[in-house]
Amino acid sequence: MSARGRSMRNRLLSRAVQIAFLLGLILLWYLATTQWGVSQLLLPNPVAVYHELMNVLSSGEFVPDLKVTLSELAIAFGISSVSGIALGYLISRSHYLIRVFEPLLAGIYSIPIILFLPLYVLFLGLGPSSKIALGTTISFFPIVLNTIAGFGYVDAIFIIAARSMGASDYQMFRYVLVPAALPVILTGLRVGFTVALLSILGSETIASLAGLGHRIVQLAEGMESARMFAYIAFAVAIAAILNTAVSTLENRARRR
Amino acid sequence: MRQRNHDQSVPALLLRHPAYARLGIILVLLLCWEIAARWWIDPMFLSPPSRVLGSLTDVVETTGVPAAIGITFFELAVAFVLSVIIGLAIGLAIGLQRFAHRSFMPIVLLLYGTPQITILPLFILYFGIGPPSKIAFGVTHGMFPIIVTVIAGVQNIKPILMTAARSMGASKWQIFRWVILPHMVPSFFAGMRLGMSGVLLGVLLAELYVSSAGIGYFTTIFTQSFDPTKLLGLISILAAMAIVLNELVRRAEVHYGRWRAE
Amino acid sequence: MATDAVAISIRAVSHAFGEPGDPRYVRALLDTSLDIARGELLCLIGPSGCGKSTLLNIIGGLLPPATGAVQIGQTPVRGPLPREVAFVFQENALFPWCTMAENVTLGMVFQGVPKAEHAMRARKSLEAVGLAEFAQHYPSELSGGMRQRAALARALSLETGILLMDEPFGALDEQTRMILGEDLSVLLARTEKTIVFVTHSLGEAVFLADRVAVFSARPGTIKKIIAINEPHPRKPEFVTSDKFHSLRNELYTLLHDEIRKAVSQSAITGAEAKA
Repeated sequence: MSARGRSMRNRLLSRAVQIAFLLGLILLWYLATTQWGVSQLLLPNPVAVYHELMNVLSSGEFVPDLKVTLSELAIAFGISSVSGIALGYLISRSHYLIRVFEPLLAGIYSIPIILFLPLYVLFLGLGPSSKIALGTTISFFPIVLNTIAGFGYVDAIFIIAARSMGASDYQMFRYVLVPAALPVILTGLRVGFTVALLSILGSETIASLAGLGHRIVQLAEGMESARMFAYIAFAVAIAAILNTAVSTLENRARRR
Repeated sequence: MRQRNHDQSVPALLLRHPAYARLGIILVLLLCWEIAARWWIDPMFLSPPSRVLGSLTDVVETTGVPAAIGITFFELAVAFVLSVIIGLAIGLAIGLQRFAHRSFMPIVLLLYGTPQITILPLFILYFGIGPPSKIAFGVTHGMFPIIVTVIAGVQNIKPILMTAARSMGASKWQIFRWVILPHMVPSFFAGMRLGMSGVLLGVLLAELYVSSAGIGYFTTIFTQSFDPTKLLGLISILAAMAIVLNELVRRAEVHYGRWRAE
Repeated sequence: MATDAVAISIRAVSHAFGEPGDPRYVRALLDTSLDIARGELLCLIGPSGCGKSTLLNIIGGLLPPATGAVQIGQTPVRGPLPREVAFVFQENALFPWCTMAENVTLGMVFQGVPKAEHAMRARKSLEAVGLAEFAQHYPSELSGGMRQRAALARALSLETGILLMDEPFGALDEQTRMILGEDLSVLLARTEKTIVFVTHSLGEAVFLADRVAVFSARPGTIKKIIAINEPHPRKPEFVTSDKFHSLRNELYTLLHDEIRKAVSQSAITGAEAKA
């Protein structure tokens, strides 16, 4: 077989292995629940899960919880992105400020900030505000750190070249700093978004009265396994859609 | 700004050593916290740092807290070791074989990207509310960075190094032992650093969700009894533990990644 | 040439990359035949893409030829021959996690040299290239010229009959190249190795080689072989002699049009790639 034919065959084979792997897992799941006597409480029948999922989607039962989660996400990310970029830009204006603040911010980020959740719950209660507070806190750091990195480490040669051509401060900002810093900042925003989503789902799971994370916990405690699996699948799908959308936006903007 | 004697004035000192400025900022923040907590905010919600520090011994002497901290530390350690072993094994298995890499890498990335927090209740269901569920959840968070970095370390070898080894008559085993393995070591240590963060996140999330013996038990008690002093104290101890663990792994990475300084 | 005086015999070797019909199909090397004498230093010179590195890799068994065959002595080449052939590559092929000494030793581990000889051979070859005091340094701590010396030491320590060098000084600045070239000539005068040396530099070819094989532009084949009759080791004064200049001019005349052709080839493929 020619080299080209061989590589095509390999690509198809590996694709086949992936599909076989996933199908195999689903098959194992099905057998475990129907033939091998695994308790329906621990592992519900995949067919039942599918039906519950269709139920949930068609009845629109998911809407209130989804609304809560998405609004918490929007507010948290909104606050953290605006403040992160603003503060990041201000700090990046001076090398001294960078040297003072960057290690400080990086140091705080290295602590698992999830630890602050009980504090926020004590302070703000079990409602959306504690989730928003945690989401904002956690997603603030990658955004501000990336903004500092983006603006603060623009290649000096660009700045020198622009100055030598007589660029004003505003022109420098708009035509040199922003385009140069944009890729790094966009990455920071994407990471911040992903982290905000994760921390909101997490805090909803741990201490909340509403939202997708909370709904899953509620179903677990109520031993409604099939419904819980359906909601888990739903939440994972929502997360995947949101993350893909954000990644695509980032790539689209970076390519320009 | 008047210089008193040749750059010994405070502003100049601050300028030369950003570390002092940082310290200053931390002190100012602590001061604000102290003032706000003492005079403005209801003591039911927030406690001033002075009181928190003072009552640290109380926290530690509360029955069950030291044991809880110990159990949590145990969960972290076991989860980390397991993550490293499993991550290394899977990473090598996928990274070394081209077909395995092409087939399974997308699956690994897919799993790495899913929000595992959504299946936390499942972990508790399967493993109970004791340490095993915390360890398991920590492992699933910690092993993925290690898998990914080990694969990268194996795949990123400059082709010329493989060609040179082959031209000198190296067998497949020799290439693995003397070329691939040493090349992968810095990536492996970087992966362990990320893995430690993952393990911390996983174990602490599980603890905060439900815990019968770990620190999660006490964070719940202190929260529900509106005891911000003890809560802050406990969180500080945990944060300190996290910092120490992270620092240990980071130092190991710096020490063993030295040839990367190219 | 008497058969036992022939170290490497190349018969009707050609090579291509890709499949015919594939837009990326490239005939790198046309029918090439050549005998290389034992103990001679043969330079392969030609424009970019003419197949000289491809030929070197085929000789060393790193690449199978599309047609034809290579023999080393009486043995046909079917894969790497670590006991007969040692390579020095243009790219830095030293293992960055090993010291200079460890790099040299590792080569011997791969070839299968008995452990007892490792230390002595490593010391000898590092001394021969002037790196004895840097044995415990890492590649990242040394300059490009020193790294290539170490690569040469590694190849020498394998004590093979043949040395294949693929533009070993290509990544270095001209002054370093000059010094290394002179040192190489002195070093090789003492050995009886057969050396095939690929280079872009006209001056380097004339200075180092016993014979120079001039390649045409892609698809490459040997256009002419020039003999340089000058005893080894070559002295620095040789470079300023008339003989050097006339040889270099002869190479220039042979190569100039081929280089122009090669550049326009790459301009075309570059334009196609953008279209």
